[in-house]
Amino acid sequence: MLSIKNLQARIGEKEILKGINLEIKAGEVHAIMGPNGSGKSTLASVLAGREDYEVTAGSVEFFGKDLLDLAPEERAAEGLFLAFQYPVEIPGVSTTNFMKSAVNEIRKYRGEEPLDAVQFLKMFKEKMSYVNIDQSLLSRALNEGFSGGEKKRNEIFQMAVLEPKLAILDETDSGLDIDALRIVAEGVNKLKSPDNATIVVTHYQRLLDYIIPDFVHVLYKGKIVKSGGKELAHELEERGYDWIISALGE
Amino acid sequence: MLYKELTSASQKEAIERFKAKGFPTNKWEEWKYASLKSWNEKDLDWTPAALNETSSASLQTQNGNTSFHGTLPAGVEFISFDAFLVANPTIATKWEQRFPILDQNSLYDLNTALVVNTQVLWVKAGVSVDQAITHDFILSAAQASAVQSRVIVYVETDASLTLIERAYTKEGSAEVLSNFVQEIYVNEKANLTYVKEQDLAQNTTHIDHTFITQLSNSQVDLFTFSLNAAYIRNNLHFYSDGENVVSNLNGLYVPGEDQLMDSHTVVDHRKPNSESHELYKGVLLGNSTGVFNGKIFVRPDAQKTNAFQSCKNVLASTRATMNTKPQLEIWADDVKCSHGTTTGQLNDEALFYLRSRGISLANARTLLLLAFVQEVIDRVTHQETKLRLTDKIISKIQTSLAI
Repeated sequence: MLSIKNLQARIGEKEILKGINLEIKAGEVHAIMGPNGSGKSTLASVLAGREDYEVTAGSVEFFGKDLLDLAPEERAAEGLFLAFQYPVEIPGVSTTNFMKSAVNEIRKYRGEEPLDAVQFLKMFKEKMSYVNIDQSLLSRALNEGFSGGEKKRNEIFQMAVLEPKLAILDETDSGLDIDALRIVAEGVNKLKSPDNATIVVTHYQRLLDYIIPDFVHVLYKGKIVKSGGKELAHELEERGYDWIISALGE
Repeated sequence: MLYKELTSASQKEAIERFKAKGFPTNKWEEWKYASLKSWNEKDLDWTPAALNETSSASLQTQNGNTSFHGTLPAGVEFISFDAFLVANPTIATKWEQRFPILDQNSLYDLNTALVVNTQVLWVKAGVSVDQAITHDFILSAAQASAVQSRVIVYVETDASLTLIERAYTKEGSAEVLSNFVQEIYVNEKANLTYVKEQDLAQNTTHIDHTFITQLSNSQVDLFTFSLNAAYIRNNLHFYSDGENVVSNLNGLYVPGEDQLMDSHTVVDHRKPNSESHELYKGVLLGNSTGVFNGKIFVRPDAQKTNAFQSCKNVLASTRATMNTKPQLEIWADDVKCSHGTTTGQLNDEALFYLRSRGISLANARTLLLLAFVQEVIDRVTHQETKLRLTDKIISKIQTSLAI
C-alpha cells in the first residue's frame, strides 16, 4: 500500500531524510527505531504532510497515488493517520465536535452519505470501548488539561473512529506509564486487520512488547541502515545502537 | 451645511460646538484610527424622511424615530424624554451633570442639536420584565444622509430588563452616517442585560455612544456584537456610581473586507467595592481594521475595586490590522486591576492537527475561529439571539475564508 523511494527532506537548510526506501503491505506492522535525531519523527511528519518540511527528492506512493502531492486532509481521506507524539491542545474544540466534522468530510471525499447524530453516537460508543475512554473526556476542549495517558488514548480513539488503512504512531509510548501503555497498545491491536498496516515509530523497545512488529527498521542519520524481524528490536534493547553504528564504519 | 430650524438654546449651542469642530479626523487622538474626515465634505441630508418599515420588534427606531409597538409589559412606560422629565423633576436637575461627556466627542453635540424624537423606556421599581424586549434599529435613506437617534433607558430600583437590539440597514439604502446616543440609568438593585447586534450595510457608518450609569447593587451585562458595516465606532461608557456594582462588558467584532470596527470603552469606578469584567474579542478578516481602546478609571474613593480587562484578537488574514490600547488610571491604593491584550494568528500546529484528521484548511480555520469567539457568544443567555449570532458569525467567517 505504501511505497517510499529515495525520500529526502529538509527543514530550512538542514537535511534530515537522506534517502529512505520502504515498502509496506496490508496486514503488516513496521517498527521504525533509531537514536534521537535520526529522523524518525520527520519521516512520520513528512508522510502526514506537515508543511514545515521540504521534500527535495524521492517519491511516496500510497495505493498508487502520489502521496506527496496531496494536502494533509486528502491524505487523511485516503486512509492515512498520524498519532501525534505531542497532541495539540485546542481550546474551545471538543473531540466529539471536531471528529464529527472530520468523519463527514472524509465521507464526502469518498462519496459517502454523512452520518447523522444518532449514528455518530452509536459509533463513538463502540470506539470508546477500544481505549477505555469516557464521554466526559471527549466533550472537553481537545487535550486541554489532559494527562499524558489521556492524550494518547484520545489519539487512538480518533484512529478507531477514522479506521485508517495506514496508521503511523509517532512515539506513542512517550510519557506513558505501563498501564496507559498497555491500554493504548491493546487499542491498536484491536484495530489491526489484514487490510490495514501500522508504522510504529519508537525510541524504545517496550511498546513492541505489546504491539508485535513484523519488521523492524533502524533509522540513522536520515537513512534506514538495518532491517530485520522482531528479534532485531530485542537485540537493540540489549546492545543499544552503537554496534550498528560502528558496523557502518562510523 | 443646512440644518433644520433649531429652536432651543441648548440645541443652538450644541450645533455651534459641532460646527467649530466638525466630524472627528485622524488628528484627534481618540479617533486616530477611525477618522470620519470625509464626512466633513459630503453634501448630506440632515433630516432624512421618516420610514415605515415592518418589524416584529416591540421597540423600533426608524431613521431616528423611536416608537413602541404592541402592548407594553406591566410596569413599563414608554414616553418622550420631555414628559419623563416633567414626571421626574428630581431627575431633571441632575440629568445634565450625571456624567461628564468626554472631550473630542463632537458627535454627541451633533446628536443633541439635531435629534428630533428622544424617547424613554422606563421600567418601574420592582418590576421584572419577563420577556426580552427587542429593539429594531433601522436605517434607510434615499440620498446620503446623517441620522440622529437617541433612546433613554431608565431602570428603577429592584427592576430588571433584557434588551435585544438589532441594528440594520434596509436594502437599497443610500449612504448613511448613523449617530446613535443611548443613555441608560440603572438604579439600586436593578439588573439590565443588553445585547447589541450591529449588522449594517457596507455603505453604513454607525457610531454608537452608550452611556450607562449604575447605582449600588446593580448589575449590567452588556454585549456588543459588531458584524457588518463600512465603519462601526462604539463609545461605551460605564459610570459605576455605587457600591457592589457589577459591570460586565462583552464585545465581539468580526470586521471583513473594507470594514473598520473601533471599540472605545470607559469604565469609571467612582465608589468602593464594585467590580467590572471586560472581555473583548476580535476576528479580523480581509483587509479590515480593528481598534480597541479600553480605559479604566479607579477614582480615589473607589477602594476595593476589582476591574479586569481582556482583549484578544486573531488576524485571520495577512492584510488585516489591529490596534489596541489599554489604559488604566488608578488613584485608589487597595484595588485589583488587570488588563491584557493579545493579537496573533491561528496556531499552525492546531491547523495541521485538524487537517491531519481530514478537515479541510478552510473548515479547520473556521473551527478554530469559532472556538475562539465562542467564549463571548456563550455568555449570551437569550437562546434565540445566541443561535442567530452564531449562524451569522459562522456564515461571515466561512464566506470570507472561501474567497
